[in-house]
Amino acid sequence: MDMTFISIALAVFMLLMLALGVWVSLALFGVGVLGLFLSGNDQIGLLFATSTWGASTSWSLTALPLFIWMGEILFRTRLSEDLFKGLSPWLSGLPGKLLHVNVLSCGIFAAVSGSSAATAATIGRMTLPELKAQGYSDKMAVGTLAGSGTLGLLIPPSIILIVYGVAAEVSIGRLFIAGALPGLLLVSLFMGYTVFWALLNKDELPQHDKSHVSFASKIKALRLLLPIMGLIGFVLGSIYGGFTTPTEAAALGVVGALFLAGVTGSLNLSSFSESLTGAVKSSCMIGMILAGAHFLTLAMGFLGIPRALAEWIGQMSLSPGLLLIYLTVLFVALGCFLDGISVVVLTVAVVLPMVQQAGIDLLWFGIYIVLVVEMSQITPPVGFNLFVIQSLTGKDILYVARAALPFFLLILLAVVLIYLFPEIVTYLPMSMTQR
Amino acid sequence: MRTFLDKLYLASGFLSGSCIVLITLIITAQIVGRMFGFIIPSAEDFSGYALAAATFFGLAYTFRQGGHIRVTLVIQNWSRASRYIQELMVLLFGLALVSFMTFYSAHMVWESYIFEEVSSGYVSVPIWMPQVPVALGILVLNIAILDDVIAMLRRRAPSYKAHESELHLEEV
Repeated sequence: MDMTFISIALAVFMLLMLALGVWVSLALFGVGVLGLFLSGNDQIGLLFATSTWGASTSWSLTALPLFIWMGEILFRTRLSEDLFKGLSPWLSGLPGKLLHVNVLSCGIFAAVSGSSAATAATIGRMTLPELKAQGYSDKMAVGTLAGSGTLGLLIPPSIILIVYGVAAEVSIGRLFIAGALPGLLLVSLFMGYTVFWALLNKDELPQHDKSHVSFASKIKALRLLLPIMGLIGFVLGSIYGGFTTPTEAAALGVVGALFLAGVTGSLNLSSFSESLTGAVKSSCMIGMILAGAHFLTLAMGFLGIPRALAEWIGQMSLSPGLLLIYLTVLFVALGCFLDGISVVVLTVAVVLPMVQQAGIDLLWFGIYIVLVVEMSQITPPVGFNLFVIQSLTGKDILYVARAALPFFLLILLAVVLIYLFPEIVTYLPMSMTQR
Repeated sequence: MRTFLDKLYLASGFLSGSCIVLITLIITAQIVGRMFGFIIPSAEDFSGYALAAATFFGLAYTFRQGGHIRVTLVIQNWSRASRYIQELMVLLFGLALVSFMTFYSAHMVWESYIFEEVSSGYVSVPIWMPQVPVALGILVLNIAILDDVIAMLRRRAPSYKAHESELHLEEV
């Protein structure tokens, strides 16, 4: 059968199943089975079994449930409250004050929870009422929350980077390290914009408080931040320093999180089992999607679709820049109705050879795709963050999307920056290998 | 029957959670061991097996808790009657596909058993042993889907529906 026809048939079948509400993991398996069937393969069941067994026992994937569990444990401590109290005194000098607390506490919380919707929900539940009470602009409060909630995808340990690393066979340790600088870049872009906005819109900020925060109370606040900063620093530092693999760092992270929860008194049998069932649900869902994606990638390989696409791109002699523009549009469009992880696994199954053909570094591409997925989290109609904040504030989704628009543009700016200066991504992982 | 099935799903989820704890223990033991100069043989293999068991044992539990993500954007505003047909079709598709998967994962275990395949690591394990949880996990998912098909034919809402509205807050 003609390959163009098969490709179109498979794409239509995939979209139809997803739209009709078939679970993403089953849809991936289903398309894989159909693809192998159309290519005339008669070993479908055997290929399914070996591919799934191989995909679900991979050593690097063991980091996934552990980091998810670590997030689930910390999620049930007083972490978010401590972040708020600890950060506020330090940020009171900057124009925009508490708005920065939104950005930074999202950034830090995101680093440990690895989930952008959970981050926006947890931090927002605490900061939004406070910001409103003090008379900050609603729109900016919502915007900073929506924007910074997405930081969770990039700042390591990030679940989506593990997914990309496993699916694209790129070292997860290097991906984590590569995500650090772009993550900092995003945080500073967000904070820079907030300062800029605060200077221009003084009337939308609370007028009264001129209270000076004493140095002593700053130090006291630091105590609240220390445990969690220590945990993140420890996990990332041990990966960067080459002392542990990401999986080992994750196991240490779980032990550390259990210790923190125990010390702060939020660890008991019910919170322990809740955190564990939460981890079971998320990691099982993601593990199954990855197994499905692995099988689909295999089927695609048999059909030769990715290779044909890569050759086609080669013949058109698209410049990497132009290819990336097309891909960005495609991903944001896909992200309009799919979640980030599904976008990543679908892409890896089909697009990766094309990207390699165009001479794009796969490590860099991983960071790029996460940034683009971050953008799609705050684009209507299906940005997960938009939903969360909508349910949190009761404002309609278009209002939230408009408030988040500047942050969408800032992430876009970050994409352009890492394209122009790829060293932002590659410098740290390179320096890691040289030692 | 009802209580038996509910216990089965819960037990499956419990095993999945235990496997995650097991992975943590194996890897922590490995790190501690390295500090004191002893090694846990084949730690990477064993945590990989525990990972597969965690994923597949968790399937049915996650399914009933509405944990497997899907796109509800298109179908959410359909009328009750069309939602009924759509949901039944999706479940029947799932039933067919997962039955296929159950058969072939059981077949995989059987082949590993009769060909006496062993793992290539430091400790060689007959590979069918860690493969059993995979086949069992898919089998329990298969039962869970059949359970929901029957529930729908009896005009009751499928199990995962109750949890799906809170999905946006929990996942990704």
